[in-house]
Amino acid sequence: MTDVRIGDLLRKKKVIVCCGAGGVGKTTTAAAISIAAARAGRKVLVLTIDPSRRLAETLGVSRNPTDPVRIPKERSDAAGITTGTLDAWMLDIKLVSDGAVRRLVKSEADAQRILTNRIYQQVSTMVAGMHEYTAMEALHRLVHEGRYDLVVLDTPPSRNALDFLEAPRRLSGLVDSRAISAFLPKSDSMVARAASRVIEKILSAVFGEEFAHEFVGFIGTFTSIFQSLNVDVNEMRRFLSGDDVAFLLVSSPAPAALTEASFFHDKTRELSLPFRGFVLNRSRATEADRPMPSLPSDANEAVRSGLPKLQGLAELEQSAAKRDFTLLGELTKRAGQGATAMALPDLPNGADDIATLVTVADALAAG
Amino acid sequence: MTAALAKLAAKRGRRVLVTEVGDEGDDYSPLARHWNRERLPRLPEPLEHNIHGAVLLARTGQELFLKSVLRSGTIARAALNSDALRRLLSAGPSFREMGVFFQLLTALREKTGDQPKHELILIDMPATGHTLSLTGLPELLLKLVPGGPIAAALKEGQAYLNDPKLASAWIVTLPETLPISECLELVDGLKKTKMPVGGVVVNRMPVDPFTKNEREALAPLVDQHAWLGRELFKKPIIAHRELARLRSHTALPIFVTPELSHDGLIPSLSGVLDTLTPLPLPTGGA
Repeated sequence: MTDVRIGDLLRKKKVIVCCGAGGVGKTTTAAAISIAAARAGRKVLVLTIDPSRRLAETLGVSRNPTDPVRIPKERSDAAGITTGTLDAWMLDIKLVSDGAVRRLVKSEADAQRILTNRIYQQVSTMVAGMHEYTAMEALHRLVHEGRYDLVVLDTPPSRNALDFLEAPRRLSGLVDSRAISAFLPKSDSMVARAASRVIEKILSAVFGEEFAHEFVGFIGTFTSIFQSLNVDVNEMRRFLSGDDVAFLLVSSPAPAALTEASFFHDKTRELSLPFRGFVLNRSRATEADRPMPSLPSDANEAVRSGLPKLQGLAELEQSAAKRDFTLLGELTKRAGQGATAMALPDLPNGADDIATLVTVADALAAG
Repeated sequence: MTAALAKLAAKRGRRVLVTEVGDEGDDYSPLARHWNRERLPRLPEPLEHNIHGAVLLARTGQELFLKSVLRSGTIARAALNSDALRRLLSAGPSFREMGVFFQLLTALREKTGDQPKHELILIDMPATGHTLSLTGLPELLLKLVPGGPIAAALKEGQAYLNDPKLASAWIVTLPETLPISECLELVDGLKKTKMPVGGVVVNRMPVDPFTKNEREALAPLVDQHAWLGRELFKKPIIAHRELARLRSHTALPIFVTPELSHDGLIPSLSGVLDTLTPLPLPTGGA
């Protein structure tokens, strides 16, 4: 048996990171964890990137505000949040990136020079790792500001659950000053100047001379700004390795779930991250004990003819419940000491109303 | 769906290239498993009769592009060995998308004699946001770089991607609430990027085994007793509601494929696709 409960994590941890592939219900799970913690009296922020329109509508917040916003009182009341609070921030990469530029430059004029740069305007959000880096930076800042007891991070969708941790390395590689100096032909070193000339030649051949010049200017400006963020990937890793943090993998009972879970578990151990559990979403694991359909004594003809068909469906559900129960057992075993595995039910109508989110939240709080 | 389409097209005698957008660090590919492989190869290789496969990787496309543009092998090698350029290519704005785009363009250009080597290229696309980054790439970058080799490549690719006679996006979704909502958002997004959308395939549509009378008689009992079978009993109702919502919000052709057993899924699905016709437009259609 494991000694960790999701309900304890959401009452005690400062950061819960929900990872998982796209389409497994990760955003819904993050929202439900946040509601559960706020219902337990904590000051909570749920941080998510590019969420579905419906989730934003459910929580009653706009999709791309510049800062975290408190969910409206009627939603908060409907969720049964009394002493706690729930804020949501559905990050827009461009807005967060613009905000970072404003914070980091010395004057509004400098900020405007960058923000109005046409390359920055068109493609800054397409810098690889930018989504993940932005989420990490926002998480780091908000936790250290101390405004919240708990920040729940819904990581950006990815094929592999831990891309969230790997992707910012690409960006940190780009903003590494030694690499970037090769694009800026100001070095005193002969070798560096020679390398710059090769790169300049390549960029001119690829882009044309005029745009290559503009591009080099953009790279220099962009990277110098992001260097000053001073939140490098290693620092982020250290921060995320602490005792205040819990990593959860949200998965579904799809055939590849166990493979993914094993990969995730190994990877978190390799990176010394505090893995605390699997959430098996859309699961029937808890349903095996529900009754099979039986013929009522006052059954009419329609019930008599329909019941065998319903019993057929019930057998399918029972079989799925057994399969999911076995899977949950395997995940629990895989989680080992210091972590757990729990199942959340399938929600055929989605979780696009507060009442359903509260149902999921209650299941998590009890888990 | 991509694997089933590839096998169907190959059976009909077409030379198919099946691809997916991948990442250097991918450990496995669900698509490749249909050909008993962990991953698809970096460059097109035969998977079975009439089917080649390749994963679209940013780095492969970038290498192909640099070799084609720089012509000088020495400079290309120096470029690819440069730490700074490697870092830029792996993270610079839109460079990863450009790499994928160029690899696709290379596949489109391949010939056998005077015929295209691949008569049909199927791309299993990534999540919505990444898909839109790719389909919107030519227009976005051409605003910034109107001339030069990149612009030429982008225009060539754009001529394919934006021509409904040559290319189309097919959205595969499920008859459930959130997938249909996401599908409608994707339809809007693709329209904005000028990518023609051929239609929507609503996959795994459940069959309703009950008559109207049976359903009406059983519905209160199912809820009252919380019997097993309740979710599958309600599933067709939800599925039809969501299908109706989709039909009322788009005039695109909509195709419906049934729920099939996991065993022998691909041959079964190929068989279904072989005879598939779109749903008729609803009365007073969108």
